[in-house]
Amino acid sequence: MIFSTLEHILTHISFSIVSIVITIHLITLLVDEIVGLYDSSEKGMIVTFFCITGLLVTRWVCLGHLPLSDLYESLIFLSWSFSIIHMIPYFKKHKNHLSAITAPSAIFTQGFATSGLLTEMHQSEILVPALQSHWLMMHVSMMVLSYAALLCGSLLSLALLVITFRKFRRIFSKGNNLVLVNESFYFGEIQYVNERNNVLRNTSISSQNYYRYQLIQQLDRWSYRIISLGFIFLTVGILSGAVWANEAWGSYWNWDPKETWAFITWTVFAIYLHIRTNKIFESINSAIVASMGFLIIWICYFGVNLLGIGLHSYGSFTLTSY
Amino acid sequence: MEALNLNPTTTPKSCLPKTYFLKAPLLPCTFKPKFSPHNCQIHRRSFKKTPFSLTTACKLKTPQDNKKNNTKSNKIAKQIILSEGEPPPLAEESGGAGGSEEAPAKLGSGSGVMGLVKRLPRRILSVLSYLPLAIGEMFAIAGLMALGTFIDQGEAPDFYFDKYPESNPVLGIFTWRWVLTLGFDHMFTSPIFLALLALLGASLMACTYTTQIPLVKVARRWNFLQSSEAINKQEFSESLPRASIQDLGVVLMGAGYEVFLKGPSLYAFRGLAGRFAPIGVHLAMLLIMVGGTLSATGSFKGTVTVPQGLNFVIGDVMGPIGFLSKPTEAFNTEVHVNRFYMTYYDSGEVSQFYTDLSLLDLEGKEVLRKTISVNNPLRYGGITIYQTDWSISALQVLKDNEGPFNLAVAPLKINGDKKLYGTFLPVGDVNSPDVKGISMLARDLQSIVLYDQEGKFAGIRRPSSKLPIEIDGTKVVIVDAIGSSGLDLKTDPGVPVVYAGFGALMLTTCISFLSHSQIWAIQDGTAVIVGGKTNRAKGEFPEEMNRLLDRVPELVNSSLSRQSDSIVG
Repeated sequence: MIFSTLEHILTHISFSIVSIVITIHLITLLVDEIVGLYDSSEKGMIVTFFCITGLLVTRWVCLGHLPLSDLYESLIFLSWSFSIIHMIPYFKKHKNHLSAITAPSAIFTQGFATSGLLTEMHQSEILVPALQSHWLMMHVSMMVLSYAALLCGSLLSLALLVITFRKFRRIFSKGNNLVLVNESFYFGEIQYVNERNNVLRNTSISSQNYYRYQLIQQLDRWSYRIISLGFIFLTVGILSGAVWANEAWGSYWNWDPKETWAFITWTVFAIYLHIRTNKIFESINSAIVASMGFLIIWICYFGVNLLGIGLHSYGSFTLTSY
Repeated sequence: MEALNLNPTTTPKSCLPKTYFLKAPLLPCTFKPKFSPHNCQIHRRSFKKTPFSLTTACKLKTPQDNKKNNTKSNKIAKQIILSEGEPPPLAEESGGAGGSEEAPAKLGSGSGVMGLVKRLPRRILSVLSYLPLAIGEMFAIAGLMALGTFIDQGEAPDFYFDKYPESNPVLGIFTWRWVLTLGFDHMFTSPIFLALLALLGASLMACTYTTQIPLVKVARRWNFLQSSEAINKQEFSESLPRASIQDLGVVLMGAGYEVFLKGPSLYAFRGLAGRFAPIGVHLAMLLIMVGGTLSATGSFKGTVTVPQGLNFVIGDVMGPIGFLSKPTEAFNTEVHVNRFYMTYYDSGEVSQFYTDLSLLDLEGKEVLRKTISVNNPLRYGGITIYQTDWSISALQVLKDNEGPFNLAVAPLKINGDKKLYGTFLPVGDVNSPDVKGISMLARDLQSIVLYDQEGKFAGIRRPSSKLPIEIDGTKVVIVDAIGSSGLDLKTDPGVPVVYAGFGALMLTTCISFLSHSQIWAIQDGTAVIVGGKTNRAKGEFPEEMNRLLDRVPELVNSSLSRQSDSIVG
């Protein structure tokens, strides 16, 4: 009982802090950047990180197994991964553009996980026979980490595309918050507006193109770096899953929908990495591939689970499908 | 001259190493100085190599070349993306594959039969290692796999007639004819898919041979850049006034670089493994493909449902998968199911399934006994036995203290995924046409629900409790529920190969993350011009370089003049 209360409290704290952090981000976008506020948003993310960590640990202690057995838990773990990716550059004193991606991503996953959509799944207390293995920790944590890293990387690429393709940009005036609720490229837009703001403040109009070029290059490099990291996680995740499948289901590869989609994701990001190695392709092409990857990750992560097909349907698990 | 440099007031930080460095251009000695703090060595390049051997490699990356290629690359990229957008991605792909065979043929017709024989392999190699082709193959494979998850696999033809009728085609053209002629009803074993995989494997090999290995050979050579212009053309370049190239060398060594010095020029690199690793990735992929092929051609598989207490012979259950499947000695082994049971959570859900198995050889002697469960299979002589399914085979019942009778249990089909089993205990005259009796239903081995002759709920009994229940004057005791264990058996000669590939792939993918950084520097009078590039961590590299260059000590005036003297002299 005490665990569930604690869990409840931590969920709400982390969710509200992430919302506050987002608000601060928006404020710093709309009004001048206030150093104090920026600092506090960073601190907020750290607090969120610890809250989600606490949430995961309480669930772990309470259930007696790693909290990665269903969609709700993996979503919490996903937002935890986002906050980790957010934290790493902060500790290394790199100031980069990842934070504009990771913070909103964290709030969305956290929000989705805590929303009413999945309430009935919160109570899943048992571990089905097929999941009772040490591979669970390795496989699922690696997969979710890779989703987080690849999502961040492909969002950076999306931002790059948005910036590149907006030849005629509307002049950004402070207080014009319409830009922010641009539906389709929400993250990219935040990123873009953030950078535009910096550019406007720091430079005269004449050198804008130079800054834009630099920004595109930086986005490109960071998305490449983080996608390669995610690719490593994805490789390890898929392979450990294959080894596990050979223990539990009798074959290391079953062409199960989830497996297949994970392999499709792997292939798409392998294509991305290959396009990057070759100088004859521009960064735009790799960015397009990465944004395709963004969609494919969501199909792999959610689509297959929502359809409830195949051996991986632990969200709506039943005895026969083990 | 050495005495001059040894003067501690001129170079206070690292006077000793410096004297050795300065010797290098003067005397071709093989003496390598050792540095205690880092314990690494400065390598000196031999004088035999031509200094300009590698300027071509650097030239490849100049911006002019990029511009030239831009128009071409645009076209290629668009083609690839277009091909992905169209519904059957095969059409172009098979066209592309055909093209790869046509191209050498055309060339051959021009230059005679001998030329054809000589050039064909090289031509095929160059076509196969063409990156856009490989990317197209990967897109096609990804597209086919996606299609394979959308089309239900392994159904009877009638299913596809209903689902993709010709009267109402999906996307205007896609009907069951497509599905059946192209073999999309078994996508992952269809000839098109397998051919694409094989083509990708060929591309992997060709790329490793024609592109990756030469790249590594280039990267392994130490190439010095002799002009400051060449260095300034690098992705990162900086000029350090009043610095000495030897100090830079020491700083770079401290950061883990391999440093080579020749006269006024310096070459340093780090993370060469990052260049090697992609080869390893390709080889590991090939290894996995080989293992997969071996699995597909040399396996045996079998499924069996055995009631508790019965036996089966492994060889009777197993069926060969491919033409290489050869039965082994171990196929004569007999398997005896000693016990099948489940454990439950407090909430009543099943927590685990267990089967206690004994393996008996031809003489009936027990060779192995193990309790298997999900995630914990039994391995014996290359055969693996998995716990995969279960059902209820019989209920042992006492009727009015007679018996026990074994009642056969049948699985009942209901909506939903949960299993349900039922049986029937006749009461009264068994031979009458409308025989009535007690129905028993069970979802698992834990509890049995009983219904009376009218079908009304009578009660629930656990087999373990031995508690009698009286229904319409008949006293029934459920003694036991006998389960049967669903086992999967297989032999798979490909597994060791595939696992080796998995291990290699994980390792090499991780190593591939390492960035191969190269740094060139040249002493230009009192200044040092530093340039560098890296192949992966392009974002972090300038920051790291700036941090390292900050550590290079600035020299005081008096020493500078002497230093430049000594270099010239």
